[in-house]
Amino acid sequence: MSAPILSVRGLTRKFGGLTAVNNVDFELPAGELHAIIGPNGAGKTTFFNVVSGFLRPSAGRVEFNGEDITGWATHRISRRGMARTLQIKSVFNGLTVYDNVWIAAHARNRFLHPLRAARNYRDSANVAGEALQAVGLAERARELAGNLAYGDVALLEIAIAIAMRPRLLLLDEPVAGMSPEETERTVSKIKELSGRVNILLIEHDVEAVFKIADRITVMNQGAILCQGTAASVAADPRVQEAYLGVPVEAAGSADA
Amino acid sequence: MKILGAAVGVFLLLAPWLLPKLVPPFWVSILAEIMIWGLLASSANLLLGYTGLLSFGQSLYFGFGAYGVAFGITRLGLGIVPSLVFAAATATLAAAVAGFFAVRLTWHYFAIITVVFSLIFYLVAVGWKSFTGGDDGLSFALPPLGRLGDTELTLLDPTFQYYFIFAVVAACYLMQWMVLRSPLGVAFTAVRENATRAGLVGLNPYLIRLASFVFAGFLAGVSGALFALFSRYASAQYMFWTVSGEAVIWTIVGGTGTLFGPAIGAALLILVREELSVYWEHYLIAVGVIVILVVTFVPKGIVGSLQAKWGPRR
Repeated sequence: MSAPILSVRGLTRKFGGLTAVNNVDFELPAGELHAIIGPNGAGKTTFFNVVSGFLRPSAGRVEFNGEDITGWATHRISRRGMARTLQIKSVFNGLTVYDNVWIAAHARNRFLHPLRAARNYRDSANVAGEALQAVGLAERARELAGNLAYGDVALLEIAIAIAMRPRLLLLDEPVAGMSPEETERTVSKIKELSGRVNILLIEHDVEAVFKIADRITVMNQGAILCQGTAASVAADPRVQEAYLGVPVEAAGSADA
Repeated sequence: MKILGAAVGVFLLLAPWLLPKLVPPFWVSILAEIMIWGLLASSANLLLGYTGLLSFGQSLYFGFGAYGVAFGITRLGLGIVPSLVFAAATATLAAAVAGFFAVRLTWHYFAIITVVFSLIFYLVAVGWKSFTGGDDGLSFALPPLGRLGDTELTLLDPTFQYYFIFAVVAACYLMQWMVLRSPLGVAFTAVRENATRAGLVGLNPYLIRLASFVFAGFLAGVSGALFALFSRYASAQYMFWTVSGEAVIWTIVGGTGTLFGPAIGAALLILVREELSVYWEHYLIAVGVIVILVVTFVPKGIVGSLQAKWGPRR
């Protein structure tokens, strides 16, 4: 394995008297599909928010691909190659599905030409087309994103992330609120993608996570509880106590 | 939709010849004035309809454009076209300075700060009578424009003036059309739809809003400059924020986020004003009723609804 794609040292984020993320050290080796799980309020999303530039850390530093990005603005971090989906699915509702991914593909150009027609940029168009193909939304390119069903919006959000050609993809609860079929489809897409891009995801659906993640980190009360493979995490009594409340025998056995 | 647009275009092109056959000749000038106000409306629409910023301050840049022409002609001794360029540049620069502060904010905060800016400059313009003429305005004589063979080109000729305004306004619309289909234009709409997501794909929402604000300032500046040339004077009263408010209302009635909707809205409401104000001094009540009806029953505005019915999406 090469140098870590993401390296977090002593990361802390406080909201008033509440410490949402408490002195977290975390390293993501390149080429890994890694999942962070934990009960509600464990600080998973806050951790993502600090890493991706939504929030400034109260203390600690974030290195992405060997570069210190602590406290950078979101768009700067994004341009360096970090893409992110949100817990509450967030796309450009009033734009077509195609324009959603096109602008994501094109945004890496610092200069946005004010007079040349957007459709003349073949490179961005190709990337956008491939991204839609990758998630299976190519046929719906002309539709307004706001008219898509929930599961398709989640896929579009992933397509937007792919179109950015990221080095690291942060997925915040990618299958939350999905039907079983949608979950299955999305999970297999994520697995497929993990061959091409580093993925770090947060998920509540333990079954889905255990199926696909190479390694798992369990967070509780703002700190990392333990790290390891699905089997070792599931066997850890601290995890069972803190997170699950009930024992988990093996990967995929819980009817979550 | 395309046929309708082409028909309006042909009508505008032939109006100086066509209108006097049907109505009194001063309607050519009214139409020219409508085009000018339509351009101001399109400035408000660029912000509201495409970038998602509600500005009640576009009259400020209109005022900069108008005074730019007056200043260029009376103090700098510029000709008509150079003073027009000078005025547009002044307004654009003013928008860049104001935008630097204003586009840090969005929604109602943004709307309020645009009003505040325009109030400040309005009060300055009213107070600084020696320079601006205050409410009375600053009149000037039109310099010659040039010759074409044996004919003297002058804005005093209503037909020539009409075509002059038509050409400048058309050029502004062409520019808007090009910008809106460019990567920058797509970025405008992306920021309008979801600024958070725009940041997450690597767009800088602040810079994109600023670009839109500066371009809108340019459009308002050109319309103000044309208005000064048209009426041969510049006045502080056109910098008052209610003028900006009218531009927003025209935009909403005509169709927010459509290229020509704001001009159609301006045309409709100016015609109502011209026709009704003769008979009824409280004609603004009628304008209010029209706005309420449109917002309630045709929220996309006139052109927006026609497009939804007949036109392709883009």
